[in-house]
Amino acid sequence: MAAAALRDQLTALLSSMFTQGLVDEQFQQLQMLQDEGGTPGFVSEVVTLFCDDADRIINEIASLLEQPVVNFDKVDAYVHQLKGSSASVGAQKVKFTCMQFRQFCQDKSREGCLMALAVVRNDFYDLRNKFQTMLQLEQQIQAYDPKQQ
Amino acid sequence: MRPEERKGVVARRRDQFPVGMRGLAVDDDPVCLKVLETLLLRCQYHVTTTNQAAIALKMLRENRDMFDLVISDVHMPDMDGFKLLELVGLEMDLPVIMLSVNGETKTVLKGITHGACDYLLKPVRIEELRNIWQHVIRRKFGNRDRGNIDIYEECNKPPNADSDHVHGHVSCVSPDQSGRPSKKRKEYCSEEEDEGEGNTQEIDDPSAPKKPRVVWSVELHRKFVAAVNQLGIDKAVPKRILELMNVEKLTRENVASHLQKYRLYLKRLSAVASQQVSIVAALGGRDPFLHMGAFEGLQGYQAFTSSSALSSFTSHGLLNSPRNNPASLGTQGVPASKSIQTVNGSHTLSHSISDANKYNISLPGSQHGNLGQGLATSLGQTQMQQKWIHEETDDLSTILSGNVLANGMSSTLQNVSPLLPQELVECTQAKIGTQPSVRTTSVNSEHLERPVGVSSSLLDSHVSQQSTVPLSGFSASGLLIHGSFNNSCPTKLGGTSSACAPARSSNDLMVARETKAGASSFGGTMLLPPDMEQKYLNFGGGNDFKQKLDERGADNLIFDWNSVASSQLPSNIGAHHSVSQRWNNSNSNRSNIGARMIGQTSSNASTVMPQMKTDLFISGDMLMPKNVSDLSIPKLQSELSSSSCSFDGLLNSIVKVEKDDVTFSDDLGCGDFYSLGACI
Repeated sequence: MAAAALRDQLTALLSSMFTQGLVDEQFQQLQMLQDEGGTPGFVSEVVTLFCDDADRIINEIASLLEQPVVNFDKVDAYVHQLKGSSASVGAQKVKFTCMQFRQFCQDKSREGCLMALAVVRNDFYDLRNKFQTMLQLEQQIQAYDPKQQ
Repeated sequence: MRPEERKGVVARRRDQFPVGMRGLAVDDDPVCLKVLETLLLRCQYHVTTTNQAAIALKMLRENRDMFDLVISDVHMPDMDGFKLLELVGLEMDLPVIMLSVNGETKTVLKGITHGACDYLLKPVRIEELRNIWQHVIRRKFGNRDRGNIDIYEECNKPPNADSDHVHGHVSCVSPDQSGRPSKKRKEYCSEEEDEGEGNTQEIDDPSAPKKPRVVWSVELHRKFVAAVNQLGIDKAVPKRILELMNVEKLTRENVASHLQKYRLYLKRLSAVASQQVSIVAALGGRDPFLHMGAFEGLQGYQAFTSSSALSSFTSHGLLNSPRNNPASLGTQGVPASKSIQTVNGSHTLSHSISDANKYNISLPGSQHGNLGQGLATSLGQTQMQQKWIHEETDDLSTILSGNVLANGMSSTLQNVSPLLPQELVECTQAKIGTQPSVRTTSVNSEHLERPVGVSSSLLDSHVSQQSTVPLSGFSASGLLIHGSFNNSCPTKLGGTSSACAPARSSNDLMVARETKAGASSFGGTMLLPPDMEQKYLNFGGGNDFKQKLDERGADNLIFDWNSVASSQLPSNIGAHHSVSQRWNNSNSNRSNIGARMIGQTSSNASTVMPQMKTDLFISGDMLMPKNVSDLSIPKLQSELSSSSCSFDGLLNSIVKVEKDDVTFSDDLGCGDFYSLGACI
């Protein structure tokens, strides 16, 4: 009974994430890959990887932008990487923000970059919270599953 | 899953490609790498992952046979993806797929120019990955496929178009192996091609980085073409071409790349041309008039090929006529059931037979070593059947085209022999026009063309066949007739036969032609009896060229044309033409045969250049026991010196014969020549 409620909760969360544009079809495809491909824990693994990696990248970018002379190429490389990983995981909103971020990098605008960084960080934290909630729900569902069987 | 089990799975998967295809995924982004790995596994590929390009390179270098495919991210901190792509392309022949979230055209283009076989955008979709195995197939079989470039065309490429380097470059197959040579030739071709491609591929590394671009100017291309022709397209390998071209700052890679494009160009050229003729043929259908139109299309096609060939293969005798063979088949609208190509000695024989006629054309005969070093002969025979009321008409068209490259002479032989209606029930009119013409283009590149046009009309049905027959460009033995012996003989055979033969009618047309030039010898015999399954095409030793067209229809027509140009001394050259023609008609037939022959003989030493043009019109009417034979020489363009050291002239004779006798034989000896000349 509790498991079903948790499932409903998880489904609602995922659909809200999708409707809010936090995630896109790529994330849905990852889920399908996990469900149909018999690779349990795949989504959580990827999401965890993404969260850790994105957090690391954002911190790197922040430190780079604090430098007296900003190496915008390096910043751009990090943003590019963040864009790649967010695209892979289907973090649509973060990906879009990264695309705007790259424009500031090419303009070599520190202020623009700092502003974009704030947006990216905000979006990422938002997404990360959702992801963490999602992972917790999945863990709880998993904990119920063996008992049901 | 334990490692052993995984190995077992992999081994099993290897048997059902693309399942188990071994891919190496390289991406510094762990998220991307994880997703990519999962997707690839989902596609049932065997995946190895690494997040560093350097490690990937190390793995590839140590176990280059362990991977079928590399998928690499573009942006990686330790090594740029393009660099990895370059190195992989240089060191190992593996398809590399680039992966990036950046889809800018410039970046994609960079990946492609660096040799990436594909460029995927993140996020990669599984649908895209399900197809990437094709790159492995392309890579593995690409070379072989390229080696399989239409054998036909490969064979038809001029074995040696440069007249100055004929010796030793012409691939040879014994002339007696008329049945087998095609296969042998095919093997030969593919081997050559494999070899060539192997060399090409070895040096033509697609990822070869940033080499200075070579602008293939007209001059450079001309040198290239000359070198290729000198080597022969089959044997042209980049290294040799480069040596021959002797151009600074040109690398083997440049030449190899250009050679590939050049071959593709040749292939495309013939494909387009044959397609055009096929269209014409399709339109032709069974309507004889349209067939005639089709033949005109063929003519146009020939003109097209020759012109285009001239534009691309400047100043070398291109053997373009063999390409006409498929065209001629297409013109007939009858699919060829058999296509044989042979290379023998200096002969390249291409033989195409339509289904109904299963006869062979062979090129037996010994050939003197010092002449006819390069002869490419292509025979195309098609048969067209049409039923008209109760009459059945079988049209056999034989296009015999050959290219003779001998001692700086190139000649092409092409012959069309029509098969007249085999069975004519009621009154039948058959009109046969054969137009062989041999032209000599220039002194250095002797190009002999002999168009033979045959038109046969069966009552309303009218079929016209015309083709250029470059024939017998033979250099008389270099010693005696020092230099070049040009014989250009445009010959017209126009025959109109109307047969009111109720019963069976068999028409045998035998044209025997013999040409002798002193010690120098060039001979060919062509027998074309369609129903006997015996067709010989002899290019025998001596100066004998015999051509026999055996045609079977309402008439028996044996047409012997013996042209002998004998020279015993460089200063003494005699031409002997004997035309023996026998017209056999069991019933009332009316036949017109017009033959025109232009012969041109040139010798450097003795400056002998006889040019003979003979028109023969033979008309026999069997109903009326009256035969008129008329031999006339309309004009003699140049003087014919009786000293026989040199005659430079044009002998044009029109022979009209109407005889009761079925056999008409006429010999034109030297004396006849002179007398004829004297008459004019």
